[in-house]
Amino acid sequence: MTKRKTDSTHKENLDAIEAHLAGTLKPVTAPNDIVQRLRARIQMPSRREIALRLTDWRRLFFVFGGVMSGLLVLVTIVRMFYYLSGRKDTM
Amino acid sequence: MEYNEEEVLTRASQGDRDAFGQLYERYVERIFNYVYYRTGNVHDAEDLTARVFQRAMNHIKNYTDRGVPFSAWLYRIAHNLVANWHRDRSRKQEIPLDDLPILPTKGDHPEKNLVRSQEQEALLRMIRKLPPERQSLLILKFVEDMSNAEIGAIMNRSEGAVKSLYHRTLLALRDQLEDQNLNLEGE
Repeated sequence: MTKRKTDSTHKENLDAIEAHLAGTLKPVTAPNDIVQRLRARIQMPSRREIALRLTDWRRLFFVFGGVMSGLLVLVTIVRMFYYLSGRKDTM
Repeated sequence: MEYNEEEVLTRASQGDRDAFGQLYERYVERIFNYVYYRTGNVHDAEDLTARVFQRAMNHIKNYTDRGVPFSAWLYRIAHNLVANWHRDRSRKQEIPLDDLPILPTKGDHPEKNLVRSQEQEALLRMIRKLPPERQSLLILKFVEDMSNAEIGAIMNRSEGAVKSLYHRTLLALRDQLEDQNLNLEGE
């Protein structure tokens, strides 16, 4: 009986310590200036810059696709005129 | 855009700075928290956090996922750097650290944040006197909210060993509280 009582007190003590640990050791918010300085120290691009670059890549892809399509149309037109002028010469 | 850590890690290990930037954004607060509680000093926490990421960036090519997640790899770097920092301080026999300066905690009311109760101060002082491994364990468990298995991956111990170490740490704290006649009232 006494042993069981001691065990339960012992457990209550540890539970109380755990509760206090949870109340004391809480995650903190790193101040913004520290995060900015850290980023500068390891020369990291900011989240916004990364996002912008990703958007730019997408834009670059569309521009490249557009230019290639335009060139293809141009080559086709040139080939058409070349073909038509060649036929005229032979007639 | 969905974050795929495996893909980001592959790109980062190929020298992609933007990919490493994404890893930095994801882990900087957690590493800062760990270092802050281990050093008890905002300035050193800032300095050491920077060094953790510099070292990670220089060695990310060597990182391979052998069952150890990237976060555990980062925490191990942080753990080693903090250990070196404590060793250097003890060699220089510097004045002991002040009590942990108060930074705002997440999720609490701002005003409540700025005050720590006497019990909390006493408990923090006790934690800081524990062996480094036990301090790490408590920080990872309570601040980082990690499971015993996750802590084991960082500390290179089995889940059972972490559980046992945690229990012994609680007993040690209880003994210290009794020695100092401190009575923790319920939260």
